[in-house]
Amino acid sequence: MASNQLTKSDYLKTGLRAHFLQNGFNYGNYQGLGYANMLYPALRKMYRDDDDKLQEALKENVEFFNTNLHFSPFITSLHLVMLENGTPTSEIRNIKMALMGPLAGIGDSLVQFCLAPLLSTIGASLAMDGMMMGPILFFLGMNLTLLAVKLLTASFGYKLGTSIVATLSEKMEQISNVASMIGVTVISGLAVNFVKISTPLKYVASMPDNQEKVVAIQEMIDAIAPRLLPVLFTGLMYYLIKVKKWTTYKLVILTVVAGILLSSLHLIG
Amino acid sequence: MSISMFQCVLIGLWTAFCLAGMLFGIYTNRCLVMATGVGLILGDLPTGLAMGAVGELAFMGFGVSQGGSVPPNPMGPGIVGTIIAITMKDSGLDVGSALALSFPFAVAFQFVITATYTFATTLTSVAYKALDKKDFRTFRLAANLTVCIFALVGFVIGFGGAFSSDGLQKVISLIPAWLSTGLDVAGKMLPAIGFAMILNVMAKKELIPFVLLGYIAIAYLKLPTMGVAVLGTAVALIVFFNAGKRSGGNVEEVEVEFEDGI
Repeated sequence: MASNQLTKSDYLKTGLRAHFLQNGFNYGNYQGLGYANMLYPALRKMYRDDDDKLQEALKENVEFFNTNLHFSPFITSLHLVMLENGTPTSEIRNIKMALMGPLAGIGDSLVQFCLAPLLSTIGASLAMDGMMMGPILFFLGMNLTLLAVKLLTASFGYKLGTSIVATLSEKMEQISNVASMIGVTVISGLAVNFVKISTPLKYVASMPDNQEKVVAIQEMIDAIAPRLLPVLFTGLMYYLIKVKKWTTYKLVILTVVAGILLSSLHLIG
Repeated sequence: MSISMFQCVLIGLWTAFCLAGMLFGIYTNRCLVMATGVGLILGDLPTGLAMGAVGELAFMGFGVSQGGSVPPNPMGPGIVGTIIAITMKDSGLDVGSALALSFPFAVAFQFVITATYTFATTLTSVAYKALDKKDFRTFRLAANLTVCIFALVGFVIGFGGAFSSDGLQKVISLIPAWLSTGLDVAGKMLPAIGFAMILNVMAKKELIPFVLLGYIAIAYLKLPTMGVAVLGTAVALIVFFNAGKRSGGNVEEVEVEFEDGI
């Protein structure tokens, strides 16, 4: 009879099943179905001849789950190690729930707000010059990095076992904070770079010696603070989302109408 | 130019793959990737690449799905916008206008995806019922059904967009000049929404210095994006180590984990 013991490769395989974490995504339990599905082959192996236990384990894990996909192997590995060591499921559940928030924070900051914008900017600028390397670099760069993240977090969770989980949550928060700082810097910079609004407005000023001088408003603005208009507009959007709770499509409509109206009046463009 | 039936099917399959990739987390649901594929299928790679670049930069801020809300989908510019740009290139339509014209599609696709997620909520009860009966096959089917629906939706959107491109061209050629200029201007303002959405998720009072840092790095110092990231990392680490000193925490250990994370 084959062993019910999980091997290192079972852990890594479960980690790679992170690709399927969102295959059952829905607004009811988010990645819940996917989490249970991610663990399925490993659980099947552990409870090879025991459908009752498999049923119980799967049912316990269909509940709400939501974290960063690429860092989720950390949680599944930890989960399986604890399960094998006979940790009570209620305790495993606590750790699973405690980790998903911080990991989402770290993952989103590093992947969505840092790595993706960086590679996307580089890839887009290569594509702008007509180079096929652009999209290829973006796609391969993202996926090779994220594959490494999945394998690393899977083996890290496995090694970590149950030893230092208590202090882990606090550290996660610190890492998450650093990642947010980097992410916010990059995103703010990109916003300033890619939101483009300028005004063609000019006025004629009379100089003391009866000469006339054309003054471009845009030049004046640039002298006060470069790219002030994009910053103000992004600030307005932020205000409408945060304070007024506007939805995306209201914001899109506002922006399109404002763009058409203001450019027709030659105020911006 | 017109699109053959074979090309329509290929675009449908490509869109299905790219949209499903959004759930797999493999970054195919990005304008840069989708537009390149459409360019290859339609035999106009240069326009595909140009559209991909313009759309990617505009939609970068929308690359985030935060709890509950779905951002405008890059299938708008990546698939429909690229089809418009390639088929209407000869009538003098540039990629900037194609981007603006594809925005309504991006928002419409957003609703389709939200509807799919909402509909998929029923999968949970299907899964529970299957588990009650120890029917593990049905459980696994339920756990994979959202991605199947996504592939189907993707195919319909890609195929439909390519198939109806003649009609699209006729409608677009009716647009007056002032409106297309306005759309172009609006297109350059739209990324603000995406970036504001991200900042809304991330922003805390303590992070205001980093917002300013990003602004200074680009507006005054004109650093490349990579430079901004390195600068941000430098300052973030300074803050981190100072905080570590104050609380007397175990800085070394945390540092190693951080490198692992990258």
